[in-house]
Amino acid sequence: MKRHTHVALIATLMSATAWGQEVSLYGTTMAQMWKSEDPGFNKAAYRPATQYLGIDATKLGSDNLSLHLFGWGKTDLSDSSNFDGTKTAGYLNYGYLQYQFSKANAELKAGRFTVNQGTGFEQVDGVSGRTDLLNGFTLSAFAGKPVLFKAGDLAHLSGGAAQHNYETQRDVIFGSRLGWRPSSTGEIGISYLQDGSKTAKDMKIAQPVDYTRRQAALDLTFVPTSFFDFRGRTIYDVSNERVNVAEHDWTATLKVGSQILVSGNFAQREFLYYYAGTNLPSLFRQNDNDRFDAWGGSVTWNAPLSIQLVADYRHTHRETYGEVNKAGGELRWANAEKTMMVGASGHVANAAKTLLVDSAAPFRSLSYGEARAWAMVTKGKFTASLDGILQKYRASNPYLNGLKNLYEVVGSLGYEVTKNVKVSGDLSHATTAVSKNETRGLLRAEYRFGMASKGGR
Amino acid sequence: MARKTALKVFAAVLGLGVLMACSLVSPEASFARTHPQELGAGRPVCSECHTTDVSKGALKPYAAFDHTVGFVKDHRFQANQDNNTCASCHAQSFCSDCHGGKAPMKPATRLSDRPDRAAPHRGDYMTLHRIEGKMDPSSCFKCHGRANNDKCQACHR
Repeated sequence: MKRHTHVALIATLMSATAWGQEVSLYGTTMAQMWKSEDPGFNKAAYRPATQYLGIDATKLGSDNLSLHLFGWGKTDLSDSSNFDGTKTAGYLNYGYLQYQFSKANAELKAGRFTVNQGTGFEQVDGVSGRTDLLNGFTLSAFAGKPVLFKAGDLAHLSGGAAQHNYETQRDVIFGSRLGWRPSSTGEIGISYLQDGSKTAKDMKIAQPVDYTRRQAALDLTFVPTSFFDFRGRTIYDVSNERVNVAEHDWTATLKVGSQILVSGNFAQREFLYYYAGTNLPSLFRQNDNDRFDAWGGSVTWNAPLSIQLVADYRHTHRETYGEVNKAGGELRWANAEKTMMVGASGHVANAAKTLLVDSAAPFRSLSYGEARAWAMVTKGKFTASLDGILQKYRASNPYLNGLKNLYEVVGSLGYEVTKNVKVSGDLSHATTAVSKNETRGLLRAEYRFGMASKGGR
Repeated sequence: MARKTALKVFAAVLGLGVLMACSLVSPEASFARTHPQELGAGRPVCSECHTTDVSKGALKPYAAFDHTVGFVKDHRFQANQDNNTCASCHAQSFCSDCHGGKAPMKPATRLSDRPDRAAPHRGDYMTLHRIEGKMDPSSCFKCHGRANNDKCQACHR
């Protein structure tokens, strides 16, 4: 979307809030500070100021009509922290009018919104709708123009031709999902998503990269009893004459008594089809003809005294790199009022069965370990938190500049000025592979004004 | 030719479906759009009202939506099928904390005062991504395959 269209859309939507009988405005202002003295680079000092802003205006002339806006803007008060060297950036995450009907959970949206139904998780400038039908069926659909991003893979070399090709191919996006909920035993859905109407071979001059996507999906939730559920989805690539599986992702969960949850997951992705439509084909390479398989599970124990213990394991297999086993655990505790919370976790990835992962460093291992501990305390109007993470690598890793252990510690202090205004400051210290010592500061002001008192945050 | 025919059939079925759907719309009243009671300041304690005691009436039992560590990791399934249920407690901006499409900083930095939240990419993830990306690049694809990949492009051209 062009910048002036952005401005016109935001101005129109913002002015619509004047009609709202309940308007909530919320935002976060953040100022960050850090210095960089990376070997091989110039010294730089960064002071980006970032503003997040959201507006929810309900009852716009009608109890059923509402407006929702959220976006951010950033400016660098010192050296540029953007990769393209610019000092400003901004983005409209969403901005849409919503009409919610009093029956059938029906709703209509128009503007910029996120769609997550069945196969896609997409940002769209367009319209969408959904409704419940008779006998437990549901129907949803959307159509519009996809929100486009830089297709930077070839843009630097082709003078923007790749970006033009990407935007021309992705001229439209639409999709639909039909679901069915037989009583309370679950839900089954079928969905279709098409992104772009001009494939690479349909262009006047055939292009090397296809940015379009046509996918169908089957999703299922099956809850035959209160102690077992099975859910997941399979996505099919239907862009060719032959239908191919892009992804299987299925999870089963068993409740053992009132305190223990046991879950198992299986996932499989065919990169040739799963990566269809990426705008970064140099990284997400379809032509690798690679496949990823994973299975694993976790056991969660909601122990007495508000303690939660989780143990998890995951086995992954990638055709080109081999097998990795990852296992670990996590502990969490919170008091009844949630004014004191602590957590600790540890995970180990064992990559003993991998193939050659790096021809430039034949002995490089993908094995690593990670440990983390954190605590949060709220005392009256004051809040405090401390969060530390340690990542331990094999000495043969050539990208660590001789280091083996990397860590980061973040401390935060906050003060609730009023019920709707909170200020906080963070200080972090870290050892990274690039900067052996890195200290960062962050100041944050969060605020919420408005009349809407019910609902979520 | 076969594809064009299939698309025409799909369009016809969709059109007929939309026409039929008008007479098939459920007459049931919609659920509450947002949480019916005002949530107090600070983090709400859901189990204060949503106990496992079914004698409390229509309140959904806490166990049915207990956000365990596993639930947070796998919430995509629930959100894909019925995000209206999520919306009764979470505003859209809550989702945007991580699923913003384009973000000025990683979620772990933005939420650095909330270590209890499952923000991805903690610590020196620039180093770790050289390992995680080789193990399972499809996990990167979910967020960075089509959006929020300006920084990826700096090296992966």
